[in-house]
Amino acid sequence: MKAVVSFLVVAAIVAVSVFGFTKGAQADEIKMVGVITKIEIEGASAKTATATLKDNKTEQLVVITVNDDLTLDKFKDHRIVEGDEIRCKYEVIDGKNISRFFRKTAGC
Amino acid sequence: MKKRTAAAAMFTVAILATAAYAAHPGADYIKENGYKGPETCEECHPGKAKAFLDTVHWKHASKVTNVDGLDPKKEYGMQNRIYVMCNGNDIVNNLKEIPKNPETGKTKFSGCNTCHPGDHLNDVGSKGAEAEKAIDCLVCHSTAYDFRKRKPMKDDKGRVVMGQDRSKEAALAIGKPTAKNCMVCHEAAGGGVIVKRGFSFTKETDAHAAKGMVCVDCHKAKDHKIPTGTDPNNWANDGVRLSCADVSCHGASPHKDADLNRHTAKVACQTCHIPRTGGAFAKDFTVWAQNPDKFYEPTTLKLEANESSPVYAWYNGTVANTPHFIGPKGSKKDGKSKIYPFKIFQGKAFYNKKTGELLSMDFAPPMANGNTRAGVESAARTLGMKNPEQVAKEAVPGWQTIYFASSHLVTKTRALSCANCHAPNGVLNFKELGYSDKEVVKLTSPELFFNKVAAKMKEDW
Repeated sequence: MKAVVSFLVVAAIVAVSVFGFTKGAQADEIKMVGVITKIEIEGASAKTATATLKDNKTEQLVVITVNDDLTLDKFKDHRIVEGDEIRCKYEVIDGKNISRFFRKTAGC
Repeated sequence: MKKRTAAAAMFTVAILATAAYAAHPGADYIKENGYKGPETCEECHPGKAKAFLDTVHWKHASKVTNVDGLDPKKEYGMQNRIYVMCNGNDIVNNLKEIPKNPETGKTKFSGCNTCHPGDHLNDVGSKGAEAEKAIDCLVCHSTAYDFRKRKPMKDDKGRVVMGQDRSKEAALAIGKPTAKNCMVCHEAAGGGVIVKRGFSFTKETDAHAAKGMVCVDCHKAKDHKIPTGTDPNNWANDGVRLSCADVSCHGASPHKDADLNRHTAKVACQTCHIPRTGGAFAKDFTVWAQNPDKFYEPTTLKLEANESSPVYAWYNGTVANTPHFIGPKGSKKDGKSKIYPFKIFQGKAFYNKKTGELLSMDFAPPMANGNTRAGVESAARTLGMKNPEQVAKEAVPGWQTIYFASSHLVTKTRALSCANCHAPNGVLNFKELGYSDKEVVKLTSPELFFNKVAAKMKEDW
């Protein structure tokens, strides 16, 4: 009985450590508004692109990796171009700022 | 092996040629002669340019018969309406170069009619041969349009013109408008992406998009006249209406279950199948905030698609239109109404102190220097109002509430089911919808659906 209880306690500690670590490793979503200074995309069939935004608040340049089809299409046909102001959410994954939300602030 | 490869190559070329031909029979003509605008299209589609000038997409207005307080002989729409989603319109806030910002000395082009498919010299509602030549057919029909070319600029006479992509490459990629073609303008209407109508048309957000349908599969045009629903806020129309229950779409009895089909007499399809909405819910035109580029913009509060709940009301297709409210008319008792979901928007703008009427705004002055009353004065002057300076000085801020139809973000899998409505905490407030206390008790009791749902539960699990 004692061995079973010890095993359960150890298992619980391991589980808490593992899940705690996993949660800690999850990327936080960062929000920013900034103006595009550069778009890099390779060809009409590109599945990824980078856009460099100048953060309105910090004036720092942030390189965002864009993978979603809708935004890539807007890069390809130039509905989104350098100089456009963008509202962006991104996560830092393996050192890259991966876009989760990338929208022009302006409308008609 | 070589023979097989050659045969495969020839087969591929033949398929591609057939596909290209199927895509557009006039491709060879365009390759040979280039693209010169509508006159090229007219080689095979005679009369289409002239007919297009008589559509809402060109006029931004039409006669409107279902809205209170309008002159049935006049035309209304984005061209001339005064309401708080835009506050400006094509007349008072025409595309122009705005005054220089006092801090930066910079200017820019801005105006309501940047989406108009002309060249701005031939603008909203223009007519005649020059207008026909100015139509930008490719912005709606090409999948290879280069939007760097569709920008306002000044011509050699100093006039503001809207550029167009009339390249052969764009012309060779024409066909039935894709969802993207429509969303180029409709996605960002009202001042930003997912602002005005609050929906995105993607496979994740709409059952029709998930099936690969495009906008014009439902909004199927004839002679460029586009069928629309009866959105209380979408007044201009091409005289062709559209409904989910059209015989060519879902019909009057769309469900296998007779109980559900009975609902369609009083409940619009959208009520169950569009349970969520989104987009802008409030905007203040009276105070503009300065952006990092030093220009000013009104502040908009908004949510993403599917992030807010609709409001439900009876609607018979006629519309109340007052300075502080634009929305559906109808009742449980009139025999014509159904319960519909609506997206609510509230906007703050200036009102005429003497008449109580909502005033419109030219965005150029406030965009340059934040002076919103100067925008009201400019608009009042453009409209020929007496004492525009006085009107602007005395103008009183106030709110207008608008009910927008909620007709997209359609879902089958997440549609409302029995208990979503027929429960004390259901989404429909039966009391407010005009039902008696006795009816409310009956309508919110599980007695209505218990056995049916229990049987379904057993079947599913």
